[in-house]
Amino acid sequence: MQKSLAFLGLVGLVLLASAAELNSPDEKSRLLVSKQLLNKFVVESMDVVIKYSVFNVGNVAANNVQLKDASFGPDFDVVGGQTEVSLGRIPPQGNVTHTVVVRPLKFGYYNFTAAQVTYTSGEDTKEIQQGWSSEPGEGYIAPFREFDKRFSPHLLDWAAFAIMSVPPLLIPFLLWHSSKAKYEAVLLSKKSK
Amino acid sequence: MVFSLKKFLLFLLIAFPLVTVLTQKNYLVSAEDDIDVDDDTVDIEQDAGDEVSETAVTEDEDATPTVTKSPDGETTVLFLKPKPGLLGPSGSPELHAGKLVEFLVGFTNKGSQGFLLETLDASFRYPMDYSFHIQNFSTLVYNRLVKPKEQATLSYSFYTDESFAGRPFGLSINLGYRDVEGKPYLDAVYNETVNVVELEEGLDGETFFLYVFLAALVVLLLVLGQHLLTSYGRKPARKQQIERGTSQSDDVDFEWIPQETLREIRKNASPNSTRARKSKKSAGSLSD
Repeated sequence: MQKSLAFLGLVGLVLLASAAELNSPDEKSRLLVSKQLLNKFVVESMDVVIKYSVFNVGNVAANNVQLKDASFGPDFDVVGGQTEVSLGRIPPQGNVTHTVVVRPLKFGYYNFTAAQVTYTSGEDTKEIQQGWSSEPGEGYIAPFREFDKRFSPHLLDWAAFAIMSVPPLLIPFLLWHSSKAKYEAVLLSKKSK
Repeated sequence: MVFSLKKFLLFLLIAFPLVTVLTQKNYLVSAEDDIDVDDDTVDIEQDAGDEVSETAVTEDEDATPTVTKSPDGETTVLFLKPKPGLLGPSGSPELHAGKLVEFLVGFTNKGSQGFLLETLDASFRYPMDYSFHIQNFSTLVYNRLVKPKEQATLSYSFYTDESFAGRPFGLSINLGYRDVEGKPYLDAVYNETVNVVELEEGLDGETFFLYVFLAALVVLLLVLGQHLLTSYGRKPARKQQIERGTSQSDDVDFEWIPQETLREIRKNASPNSTRARKSKKSAGSLSD
């Protein structure tokens, strides 16, 4: 009796699974990937933060999600994060963000292109889906000198200014102080008299 | 030979001014004509032109239903800002006035040949009649090739103007793309009525400074009140002020006066003189 029940259950499961298989054209995961530069100024040899957001807008989870950004050539140093990362499983309506910090080594115009994302849709399929992120587009990488001219705190300049402004303040003060000391000495001697 | 040259020169002398005058006259006439035409038609033609362009737009919309989406191209749209899904508390899509709207458009190539995603544009339409454009946002050119069985994401963002608050708009987002043969397709990625709502912000600059001003007023009133209360509250017992001059200070320096002069002053000091009083301190203070 129990065996037959178990068998029935198994048959039911198989049927359900096949029904799910039949529904599968509708049920798939769909990833949208945006790649954004978070910096206001992209400057040579200074950090640039790049944010990848992966959204699953499908109705089943995306599995084995791999994000790979091969768009940074030899002109960039990866300072933080990885340009090739495995994001694992993204549930439906879920999202994952990933950031990378790079440092451009040269200035001039640079075309920031798309990152690549690969994943499998649902639990069972082996077919690898391949997608590309949005492109931040061509941006200007400013030379460090130009950036420094506009935004540096000018610490050295201020220090030099401080040193240079010491003598014209100190000399009159010393003159005044010596005369005051002399006067006070006179007063003291009078008082003591 | 010489004769012919002379003749030629004469001919030149006559012909050159004639030609120049004629051509100049021509130029002058034509220039005047141009100006006249412009002046006459400016007022009338501008209106006509507007009407023409408007009708042209609507005609265009009506005339191009043939450009549709490809069966092999599948698009999805995801709004990131103001919030994913865009649904407000009322259950209908909402945008926030004066704020950034950002969305992603995903394209899946299900076919066996590539597609070139060319442009993406968004526009606000009149919700009753989608052929009536209220605001067109810029058409971004992407030119991205999507290979067979691949997907691509495009991002687009625009600002809604603050003056649009509280009105419904038909938001229409169109993706224009071509297949490898150059056949154009147009996919209306999003075509729904959205409400532009004004965001209730906790504290903006205006109200903040209003409160600061009110607080300053309250403080001022308090200070004034306290001042009034103290001045009415107690009548100060006025002490008689007596001017003593320098009679009580004993650090008056007489050293600079020669001794004989000092002696003379002390000798014939009048009782009214302060110096005299100075010289006989105790007597002076008593007399006052």
